[in-house]
Amino acid sequence: MNGADFRGISVHNFSEKILEQVVHFHVMKLDGGFFLWVGSAPVLSNLAVSLNSKYDSMPLSTLVMGDPSETTASSLAQRLAKRTEKQVFVSYSLPMSDSSLSLLVEGRIKKELELHPEHF
Amino acid sequence: MSEPIIRSKKTQREINGIPTEVVCTEFSNYIFVVLTQFGKIGTLVSVTPDSRSNDISTPPFSTKVLLGKDEPMTHVCAKNLAMFVSQEAGNRSVLLGLALKDSSIETIKEMKEVIKSCQVW
Repeated sequence: MNGADFRGISVHNFSEKILEQVVHFHVMKLDGGFFLWVGSAPVLSNLAVSLNSKYDSMPLSTLVMGDPSETTASSLAQRLAKRTEKQVFVSYSLPMSDSSLSLLVEGRIKKELELHPEHF
Repeated sequence: MSEPIIRSKKTQREINGIPTEVVCTEFSNYIFVVLTQFGKIGTLVSVTPDSRSNDISTPPFSTKVLLGKDEPMTHVCAKNLAMFVSQEAGNRSVLLGLALKDSSIETIKEMKEVIKSCQVW
């Protein structure tokens, strides 16, 4: 995980209009992982962390801050950790009840991962 | 593409010979400070001003290790590094990511200066 090619922490912002609202994305690239915040207002309402385990094909994921009954952040972190094989922190500050929104948001993140993998 | 709504500032400095990175990110309810000598978030600590602080017997700040090794020194470092940020940021809570090789008092003092240079609040 300790990348010799790691060139220091970098920050990347992007946004997209999804279902009539502007959704903002903020990525902080770290050594062996990244922090991703998603929201429409600059609030930090929860934080999940996920990382791959050699004992399980699905990454481990846990919520370290926020309402534990809201699972969007930790499941998103888990899927991103699986895809990128990195340690992933996710903070998700959008309405969690809206599953069509979260699907589109996840799609947008995947698109950014494909277009700009260097930012993650 | 609209302007980013999250403001952040970062810097890199050598402290006592060790390359140290600081990233400060502003949220309306939190200031997120990453202070690292490993390029990682490391231990996550929340530093929250206590609303009942008019009572002399309770400390004005509470610290909680959210992720990582929960040892007394972590709480000491976190309070030392984050209290002034919270106070300057209108008593907002501070989320602190700490990954330090050296946590001597001189280093902590210098780190506070580096955090100040990344002021987003």
